[in-house]
This record gives sequence, C-alpha cells and structure tokens, in this order.
Amino acid sequence: MTTTLENPTAKIPPSTHKYADIIHRLEAGGSMLPDTEENLMQIIGIYKAYAVPMDFYWRDLLYIAERVFLDPLPFFKYFLPQEYLDLPNHYAGATADFRVWQKGEASAHPELLEFMDRGELKKKLPKLFHHLWHDRINMEFAEACMQAMLWHQGMGGQFYDYLESEEYLANCDRAIKAYFKGNPLMLGLYKLFPEMFYEKVRELSYYANLGLFWEVMAPVFFEMSDLYDEGKFKSVPDAMDFLVNGIFIAAGRPIYHHVYIGDECYEIIPKSKGFMWLYEAALPYVEAVFYRTAPFRGTKSYNAQAHQVPDEQKDFHYGILYADVFPVGTAGIPPTLLMQDMLHFLPPYLLEYYQNYCRGEDDMLIQLGITFQRSMYNVTSAVIQALRTALLYPLDDPNPEHLLKNRQFFEAQMDRFLRPEARLTDIQSQDYR
Amino acid sequence: MLTPLLVIPLLGAIAIAILKPQFSRFLGGAFSLASLVWSLYLFSQFDLSLGGLQFSEFHRWIDPVGLNYSLGVDGLSLPLLALNSLLTLIALYTNRSNLERTRLHDSLILLINAGIAGALMAQNLLLFIIFYELELIPFYLLISIWGGEKRGYAATKFLLYTAVSGLLVLAGFLGATFLSQSPSFEFSDLQVQNLDLIPQLILLTTLLIGFGIKIPLVPLHTWMPDTYVEASPATTVLLGGIFAKLGTYGLLRFGLQLFPTAWQTVAPGLAIIGTVSVIYGAVSAIAQRDIKRMVAYSSIGHMGYILVAAAAGTELSVLGAIAQMVAHGLILALLFFLVGIVEKTTGTRDLGVLNGLMNPVRGLPLTSSLLILAGMASAGIPGLVGFAAEFIVFQGSFATFPIPTLLCIISSGLTAVYFVILINRTCFGKLDNDRAYYTRIGFSQQWPALVLTAIILYFGVQPNALLHWIEPTTNSLVVELHQPAIAQIATTNP
Repeated sequence: MTTTLENPTAKIPPSTHKYADIIHRLEAGGSMLPDTEENLMQIIGIYKAYAVPMDFYWRDLLYIAERVFLDPLPFFKYFLPQEYLDLPNHYAGATADFRVWQKGEASAHPELLEFMDRGELKKKLPKLFHHLWHDRINMEFAEACMQAMLWHQGMGGQFYDYLESEEYLANCDRAIKAYFKGNPLMLGLYKLFPEMFYEKVRELSYYANLGLFWEVMAPVFFEMSDLYDEGKFKSVPDAMDFLVNGIFIAAGRPIYHHVYIGDECYEIIPKSKGFMWLYEAALPYVEAVFYRTAPFRGTKSYNAQAHQVPDEQKDFHYGILYADVFPVGTAGIPPTLLMQDMLHFLPPYLLEYYQNYCRGEDDMLIQLGITFQRSMYNVTSAVIQALRTALLYPLDDPNPEHLLKNRQFFEAQMDRFLRPEARLTDIQSQDYR
Repeated sequence: MLTPLLVIPLLGAIAIAILKPQFSRFLGGAFSLASLVWSLYLFSQFDLSLGGLQFSEFHRWIDPVGLNYSLGVDGLSLPLLALNSLLTLIALYTNRSNLERTRLHDSLILLINAGIAGALMAQNLLLFIIFYELELIPFYLLISIWGGEKRGYAATKFLLYTAVSGLLVLAGFLGATFLSQSPSFEFSDLQVQNLDLIPQLILLTTLLIGFGIKIPLVPLHTWMPDTYVEASPATTVLLGGIFAKLGTYGLLRFGLQLFPTAWQTVAPGLAIIGTVSVIYGAVSAIAQRDIKRMVAYSSIGHMGYILVAAAAGTELSVLGAIAQMVAHGLILALLFFLVGIVEKTTGTRDLGVLNGLMNPVRGLPLTSSLLILAGMASAGIPGLVGFAAEFIVFQGSFATFPIPTLLCIISSGLTAVYFVILINRTCFGKLDNDRAYYTRIGFSQQWPALVLTAIILYFGVQPNALLHWIEPTTNSLVVELHQPAIAQIATTNP
C-alpha cells in the first residue's frame, strides 16, 4: 500500500534516469500516469466501460474451460447460457464468499444483460444474427489475452510447470476419457495423438486462469467507478492505491480448473494445489498482455530475419503499454474489438469528453484506446507499487540504503520503457489523444 | 448570346462588392452558376455542322483605332468557356475557412472569369488584348493578398512576366495589322498570309514568346512554380486550370490560324520545345519535395504535349491539343484543389512529413482517394480523361514528329513515377501519431472535387462527349493550315 509522500527523495540523490521525474513520482507514492483531474476522469470512466464486457469475458472464459471443454466444433462457445450469466461472482453481491467490494452484483451486470438482449442495433433479433453482425461482446480480445499468457509462459509462478506434471496429465486423462465416452473416433484420436489433447486442455486451463483473474477485476473496476461517482476518489494515486489494496486482498485467492462433464466435476487443477491469484494469474497477465503479447496481424509487418522481432520472448514489446493505437483502432483485430466493446458502456461524462476532442464520434475508438492505454499504465503502476511493497521497502523508510534499493527497482522497471515504442512519454501529455 | 458570359460575372462582381460580406459566397456561387448554365445553353445551340465562328456579335466601338466589340465562339473556345465558368464556381468554393475580405476575393474571381471569357470570345485583336491583360490585376491582387509567405515576390514576378507576355502579344498584333495593312484589328480582316515569310516568322515568333510565357514553356516558365506555390488554392485552381490555357488558346487561334505558312516552318522547333518542356517538367516534378510544386512542374510537362500536338498540325493532333487543354484544366484544378485541402488540414506540403492520409479514422480518406484518382488521370490511365486526350495527341503527332512524340510517350511514364511518389508518401504508410490530429473534411468542402472527378470519369469513359464539339473546328483549322501548301502545289503543277 502506498501513500503520497511530501519529499521522498530528500535522503537520496535525485535519479539521473531518463524517466527521473516519473521515478520520483513513484517514490512519492504516485503513478506513472500524471495526477490530473482529466486523467482521473478518463481512467475511471474507462475502468467502468471495461468492467462491463469483462463481466462477460470471465463468465464465458469459465464456461469454455468448464463446459465447452474439448468440443471439436465449438461454434456456440460465445453463446453464454443463462446458468453462467447467473453465475454468482465470488467477490460481489450478497452471496459472495469473499466480499470486499460492496457495490457490485453477483450475477451479470444489468447493462451487460441489456446489451446482450438488444445489442447495438437496439432490436431484439435472433442471437445468431447479433453474433454474425458482431453486435455482441467480442470474446476475441479475451482469447488473445489467454493465448498471450499460454504462449509466453516463464513469467514466474508454478502454474505452467504444473501443466507438464504427471498429476496434471492424469487429471486430463480422466477428463478426456469421460468427455469422449461413447465417441470411439475421438478416443481413437486421443490414443494416437495424446499430446494434442493435453495441449488443448492446457489452453483451457489458461481460459480458467484468466476467467478467475477477471472475476476479481470486474467488481474492482465497478467499485472504483461507483466510488468516483460518489466523489471518493480525488486523485490518480487514490485510484492506484485502491488497485494496490485490491491486489493484496485478492492475492491469495485460488486459481484452479474444474471441468463439468454430466453431473460430475473433474478437477484438472484442484484448488488444493494452492495456486494463488497474484502469482499465477495477475502478474503473468500483466507481463504477457501489458508488456509482451505478439504483433497483431494486420497492423504492421515485421521482418524477423532483419531482427525486427526480438530473439527472446521476454523482450517482446507489443502490449498495450507500447501499442500504437492508430492502426489498432482501424483494423478488426482483438484490441479494436475490445474498444468496440467498451464503446457501448462508456459513462456519459466520458462520451461528452471525447466528443469535444479530435473528431468526436468518428474517432472515439482511438480516443478511448488511448484512454485505455493511460488506465493500463495506472494499473501497471499499481502492480509495480505492489511488487515494491511485497519485495522491498516502504516508501517512507528512514534507511537511505533501503530507499536506494527501491530506487534501483523503480529504475529497472522504467528501463522497460526506454524502447522507442513505449508510450510512457506520450501519456505524460494531456494532448496525446 | 455571348454578351451574358461577360455581363453575368461583371454584375456578380459589382453585387458582391456592394452587398454585405455574408452574401458574397452565395452571390458568387449564384452568378458563376448562372454563367456556367449559360455556357451549357450555348452548347445546346451550337451547330456541329459548322466549323467556323458562331453566335457572332459585332458592335462598332472606337472606329479610328479599329477597336470593335466583336465576339464569337467555335469548337476551340466553347469548351474552354464552359471550363472557365466551372472552375470559377469551384474556385469560389475552394477552402474558404478563415478567408478574410471575402467580398474583394470573390469579386476579383468573378472579374477574372469575365476577363478570360472575354479573351476566349474576342474576335478583335485589341479587344482580346484588353481582356488578356484585364485579368492580370485581379490575379496579382489575389496572389499578393491571399498568397503564402513569399506572396509579394511571387505576385510581382507573375505580373512582370505576364505583362511582358501581353506586350509581346500586342506587338505581334500591331505588327500583323500594320504590315498586312488591315482596315481594322478584326481577326477576320487580317490577311497575314500575303506577307513574306520572314515578317511572318518574326511576327509568329513574337506571339510564340508572348503566349509561351503564359503557358508557360521552358525556358519561359520560371514565374510559374513560384506563383503556383504561393497562390492560394482557389487562385491556383484558376491559374492552372484556365489562365494558362489562354496561352495555348492564343497559339492555336493567333499562331496557327493567322500564320499557317510560318507555322509549318517553325513546327519542328516547336515540337522540340514542347518535348523539352515535357521532359523538363516531368524530371523536375520527380525532384520536388513540395507537393504543390510537384503538381506545378507536372503542369509544365502536360502543357508541352499541347505544343507538340499543335506543332504537328494534323486534324487528330489539333483535336488532341484542344482536348488536352480541357482535360488538363480539369485534372490540374482537381489536383490543386486537393493539395489545398491537404495543406490546409495538415499544415504542410512537405513530402517528407506527410504520410498515411488514407487512414480512415483520422486521415483524409476521401481526399486521398480523389488525389490518387487525379494522379491516375494526370498519368494518363485509361478510363480517365487524361488518357483520351494524351492518346489522341500521341496518335495525331506521331506521323509528323515521331521522335518527339516517342519522347513524350516515355515522359508520360515519368508522370506515373512522380505521382506514385506523391501518392505513396502522402496517402499511404502509417499516419504519424504526433501529427494526426487533423480536422474532419466535410462534404461541403469536398463537393467541388467530386464534381471535377465525375467529369474526369465521364469524359474518360465517353471522350466523344467532349471531342465532337471540337472536331468541326479542328477540321477547318487544319484545312487553313494546309491551304498554302495546296495552293503552292496547284501553282507549280498547272
């Protein structure tokens, strides 16, 4: 947890880092995002707009991981059944078994239900029509995030190691055989190519992982929006502190993967393995999605032979913190679809704000994409502050050596933004829209 | 029938000058539209079976001097009159945001319209000179008041060059009239063919230099890039679209038609000058970084085609020359109009800075698309008016001047080179994040470009819709050109 300090660098010399100002701000308990009313309004507005589709994402991710499972023709995996729309969030509503955030509701958000019913067309049409017209919540972004987490791996934690263990494979084996019971073709294929099936189940485990991560984040963002509306957030660091607190509160929540076949529950990754939300979901998510991901097709061509693509996956830098939102905003790729999803749920004050800048409604997707980028810099700041709290020293530590350790940590984090693609410098200006 | 084409814009200019500034755009539009409608009405009354002048008007004015109010049109001047009215309308609706002193601006544009229309219709040499010089002052004021950073320099240079052009043309006319002992300055009274070849050559050369400045031909072109670049988009539309055509019109009307014998003598030299202009214009355009300057140099090249075609003097080549005047007027007006939008919106014309304007969200997608189409039309891509005109020019000129024509054909390939450079750097690529906060361009700002595009497409697909108005006149022009040779053959073979 952080508090804004008056004179944090008094005991150690100023940083000479390129981002010295931002480092000093972090040392004062601030965020990478400048503390302005405009920034606060933008990020809270976008958190709310993000939370509504996120409420769908986590439900559908769990639905795919738990129910669709290995369906070889999963045409209807985005058609969320009522059971999962009613699925109570573990962190919101009166039925929550872990209720910290007071405002949210256990079942799907009313705005989400209204949108799912009539879509952008505002007409009640067959679900399939809404789906094919893309008049729906687009799961492509959620799946792209899941794939980024699956593909990058090696981002700390024990989760992926477990996916290679004999115990996991045995759990998979039982679930696969149960799922394809009475289907000799698929069982024959499983016999011939077991690794293919295991790999698919690993992917589904990441579906569950991400679904459980967002199950926490959706009520956090709803709560932030409500608190802002009530005037309880006064600054960007307030919002960041709320996230830091949330990270610590939810840190130990379980990450698991259950599959429901018939009436039976198969524990592919049991809760008893003790995989924790912070280390197995939150941190890998931030690393994979905010920092790394991979170039989206249709945005820019890279020549790998000319070393335009890093040799090491850890050096990938295509996440939202580096993203060029212009092409993202113009192509039908997952980030654009996320922006399209958020566009439906923007709070009125943010809609009005966008209409006053650039091309108003015409380029609102880009404007909100850049707001999203700002807000994710704030989330990343919360993660950096949380890691500093967990691994290093308080910001008001009296020992200068400890403060220097903190400084080194912050500088190491800022080194990741020394790449020219990083948008850290851009978001320091309010004119970046 | 023809006087309204002078009276309407003059009345418009007066009305705009008198009434409140908020009416000036409406009045300008209304009067120029009326002028356009009237010129289209003339088309409907035009007799295609006649090659000579039609709708002639004659009123004695200052008899002792030989100056009469004498008007007439044929297939050479009628399409240019319509082009003049159309481009006036376009110019009045070009890029008006933040335009100051609108009354003066719009009045001057309508005065230019009247001046050019008068020059195109005048059948009295002195009357032609009056109109020919009349539009210089409005142009000078438009450049020097609404021009760019170096507008003073550009306007003065423009005035000096074009004034010299006027003086040379006047000298040529005076010489032709006095030497041929014509009773007046009436075009139809002049019997210059009776003069010896040497005086004819001197007079023709004088006119060639005079009109060559106006076109402009290399090496008389140096005023043009500076003027085009510094003038406002509306002024450039008129300068490139119709003003320069007075030069080629003068060459055909007073050079080719008055001095057919001398014309045949100087034709090879004209073809060479035309070819040099074509190559020079294309190569210079490739070297430019400023898109407006690039378009300006492209104009030098395209005007060279007209000279080559006029020099060849065949029915087909002269038909192509006139068609190219109209086609080039339309294409160049569209190019300058679009370049004006790009400059106004992005604040730059620098090829090194512009990029990604095709971006559908924050770029200028429609403007870019039209710019590509205009570039294609200028490069002579089939289906667009530029192709039809250039093809006829090349086909008509090849038999007479095969090598210059071949060089022109090769140079037309260079046109594609510089337009690909322009379009590739301006429209394609990634829109620069730091610069791409451009305002939206609404339909009200783009309709003139859409109108021009529609005409370019229509004449491209249906070139006969343009050519059949010109053809009777070119036939009679070429007959006159070859009459001396026929007469010579007749006398040597009794």
